[in-house]
Amino acid sequence: MSTERPFRIAVSDDALALLKRKLNDARFPDEVDEAAWDYGVPLADVKRLVGRWKDGYDWRTHENTLNKLPMFTRDIEVEGYGTLDVHYVHQRSTVEGAIPLLFVHGWPGSFIEVTKILPLLTAGGPGHPSFHVVAPSLPGFAWSSPVLKRGFSGKQYAELFNKLMISLGYDEYVTQGGDWGYYVTRFLAGLHGPLNVKASHTNFPLASAPTFWASPVQYLKHLILPYTALELQWLGNLQEFLTRGRGYFLQHSTRPQTIGYNLSDSPVGMLAWIYEKLVLWSDSYPWTDDEVLTWLSIYWFSRAGPAASVRIYFEVGGTADTPWVMPRPNVPFGASYFPKDSGNVHAGECNVVFESEHTSGGHFAAFENPQGLVDDLRKMFGKEGPAAGIVPGHSGF
Amino acid sequence: MPEETPFKIAVPDDALSLLQRKLADTRLPDEVEGAGWDYGTPLSDIKRLVDRWRGGYDWHAHERELNQHLPMFTRDIEVDGFGVLNMHYVHKKSKVAGAVPVLFVHGWPGSFIEVSKILPLLTAGGAGHPSFHVVAPSLPGFGWSEAAHKPGFRGTHYAELFNKLMLSLGYSEYVTQGGDWGHVITRILASQYGPKHVKASHTNMPICSTDIFGTFRNNPLRFAKYLLTPYTPREREGMARSRMFQKTGMGYFAQQSTRPQTLGYNLGDSPVGLLAWIYEKIGPGTDNYPWTDDEVLTWISIYWFSRAGPSASTRIYYELSKSEEVFRTPRTSVPVGISFFPKEVFHAPRELLRAELNVVFESEHDAGGHFAAYEKPEALVDDLRRMFGRGGPAAGVVPGHSGF
Repeated sequence: MSTERPFRIAVSDDALALLKRKLNDARFPDEVDEAAWDYGVPLADVKRLVGRWKDGYDWRTHENTLNKLPMFTRDIEVEGYGTLDVHYVHQRSTVEGAIPLLFVHGWPGSFIEVTKILPLLTAGGPGHPSFHVVAPSLPGFAWSSPVLKRGFSGKQYAELFNKLMISLGYDEYVTQGGDWGYYVTRFLAGLHGPLNVKASHTNFPLASAPTFWASPVQYLKHLILPYTALELQWLGNLQEFLTRGRGYFLQHSTRPQTIGYNLSDSPVGMLAWIYEKLVLWSDSYPWTDDEVLTWLSIYWFSRAGPAASVRIYFEVGGTADTPWVMPRPNVPFGASYFPKDSGNVHAGECNVVFESEHTSGGHFAAFENPQGLVDDLRKMFGKEGPAAGIVPGHSGF
Repeated sequence: MPEETPFKIAVPDDALSLLQRKLADTRLPDEVEGAGWDYGTPLSDIKRLVDRWRGGYDWHAHERELNQHLPMFTRDIEVDGFGVLNMHYVHKKSKVAGAVPVLFVHGWPGSFIEVSKILPLLTAGGAGHPSFHVVAPSLPGFGWSEAAHKPGFRGTHYAELFNKLMLSLGYSEYVTQGGDWGHVITRILASQYGPKHVKASHTNMPICSTDIFGTFRNNPLRFAKYLLTPYTPREREGMARSRMFQKTGMGYFAQQSTRPQTLGYNLGDSPVGLLAWIYEKIGPGTDNYPWTDDEVLTWISIYWFSRAGPSASTRIYYELSKSEEVFRTPRTSVPVGISFFPKEVFHAPRELLRAELNVVFESEHDAGGHFAAYEKPEALVDDLRRMFGRGGPAAGVVPGHSGF
C-alpha cells in the first residue's frame, strides 16, 4: 500500500509576511575598510540580496516553477527511528528501459540541484542512455521531515533511501551524489550494493576519514606522489579549506543547535551563511540574485527550518577524534573531477571504472555544469561504457 | 589631573523598540530529543531567556545601575596607522593616593561589566592590604568603544592603544590584570612596554606559547624541569578539560578566526542568535555560577546595544589568529602572577609557564571558572592584594604607588 502523495510547495501567507517583517527590520553589521571577501561575505552583496528579497523577488513565481517538478512525499520507516516523511522529485523517462538513478544532494544544496539535469537525464535518444530519476530531500532539508532522535547516520540514510527506491519499484538502481550525497551514496553502495545499488557516480570523491578529517596536516605532509595540475589545484582548494574555510564545518559538527538559532531566526544571517558557500565553492557560476534567493528560500521555508539541516555534520561525527569511516563498496564507481571542488587524489578505496576530468566547474556540478555531468553519466552507463547494462533490464535504451 | 569626558550609556528608544519587534518575531528551531547541551545551547534555556527578555527584563534599570556604579568615560586615542579610536572605559581612583594603578582587560564574550564586582574591592582603602586605581576599558569594537576600521588591528596595536590610554590618564607606570583576550593583550603589553611602563602582570587564564623551542632556548634548565616533572592531578584534570573544549567547543573560534563577517550578519540581526552564541560560553564556562536570567540578558544586551554592533567584537579572533599572536604569545621578563581556577577551559602546565615567564606569584583555587573576576571577585582581589601587598613578590613594583 503506497503512501505516495503528490506534493506541491505552498508556503503560507503568514510565513511570507514574517519573512518580510524580518527583512524590513534587518540590522546590518559594520565592515572593515576594503574587506572584500577577506572576512566573509561582503556587506554590499548582503545588502543587495536583502534588498531584492524584500522587494522585487517574488517567491510565488518561483514556488510555481518548482511545483512544475513532479514532487511527492512518502512515509518510509527506518529501524529505530520510526516513520520519516520523505519529500522527493520523481520523473520517469518515456524510455521504459531507462536506468533508475537516485540523485542525492548535500549542504547547502537541495533537491533544486536536480532541476537542470532532470530533462537531460530523462530525455530519450538513440545515441545515449536515459534515466528514471529520483531526487529526495535529505531528512531535515526542504520538505522532508527532520530526525529528532540522535544518531541518524550513514547506515540510516542508506536504509531510508534504499527503501525509497524499492518502494518506487526500483529494486536495482544506480546513484549520483556530491557533498553529503557522496557520503550517503557511499553507504548505499557499501551496505546495499551490489544487491540493490549496482553502480555509483560522484562529483565529490573524498577518501575515508582518517587521512583527511582526522589529521589534515599530516595528510598534507605525507602526500608524496607527483601531482597532476588538477590534483595541485585540489590541494590548493584543500589548503584553503583547512586554513580559512572550515569554520562552518567545525561549528556544524560540534554545536549545530547554537548556530541553528541564528539560521532559524535571521534571514540575513542565514543568507550570509549559505551564500558564502554558493560563491566560494562554485567556479564563478553567474548566480542571479533570484537564483540565490530561491536556493535560500527553500532553506528558510523548509519544513523543519534551516537549523535541522546542519545536524547531519554532528550526527555523522566529523570531529578529529571520531572521523567518518565509510564502507568500501563493491560496485563499479565513477568519478567526475571538477577543479574548483575539494576532491581527493584518486578515490583509491573504490572500484573506479570511470573517471572524467573537467577544466571548469565547482562543487555544485549538477547546477553549474549540467551538460558536463550528464555527458559523464551517459558515457559511464551508455553502450560501450564501463557500466553499460549494469542494471538488468534497464540498459537505458 | 587629566581631563576626562564622562560617559553614560543611553540606548535610544528606537533601538529598544527594534529589539522588542525582533523578539516578538523570534523563530525558534526544533531540537533533538534529550539533546541537553550536546548539540549546543538548549532550547528550553533559550525559550525562557527570550520570554524574559520580551517581558520582565528591564534594560533601563540595568542601564541605570551600570551608569550609577561604574564611573565611565570616553577618550580619543590615536593608534599608528589606524587613526583615532574613541575608547570607552571605566576609571575609578582609590582614595589612597599611592594606590597601585591597574589596567584590567576583558575578553570575549565578556566586557567592561566584568570589572564591576572587583572594582569596589580593589579601590577600597585598608591598613592590611594595598589598594588600586582601576582602569577597565572596553576593547575596540566592544561595549561603547569604537571599532578599528582598517584591517590588521593586531596585538601590537591593542598594546599601543592601552599603553597610551594609561599614559593619558597620568599612569606612566602600572600593572595589568587580564583573562581571555585580556591575557593575550596584557602579555603583549608587558612584552612591548614593560618594564618601562608595565611593571607587573597578573592573569587568571595563563596559556603557553606554541613556540616551544623558543621557550626551551630562553630557559633550557626550566624547560628540562618541565619535561621531567610529572603533571599534578590538578594539571591532568585541567588538561583533560582543555582537550574536551578543543574537541567540542572550538566551533566559534574556527568561525570567528576565519570568517567573522559571515557570522556577524547573524549576531547583528538576531537577538536570539546572539543570545545562544554567547550563552553557550557563559553558561557552561563558569564553575556553576548561579546566573540569573537578568544577569545573562545584561551581558548579552551590552553586545546587542554596543556601539559597533556584535559582529565587530569577533574580528579580534581573525586579526590575532592571522598574526599568530594568539598562539605565539610573547615572552616577557616582567614579573607575572597567576591565579589558577579549576573550571577554566584553557589550561597550561605549571612548569612550562615557569619556563616561559617570570612567574613570581601563583595561587591555586578550588572553585571558579573562566570569568574569575565575575565569579570569584573576592578570591581574585585577595590574590592581587597578596601579590602586590607588603611582603608580596611584587610589592612596590610601581615606584611611589605601593598601594598604601
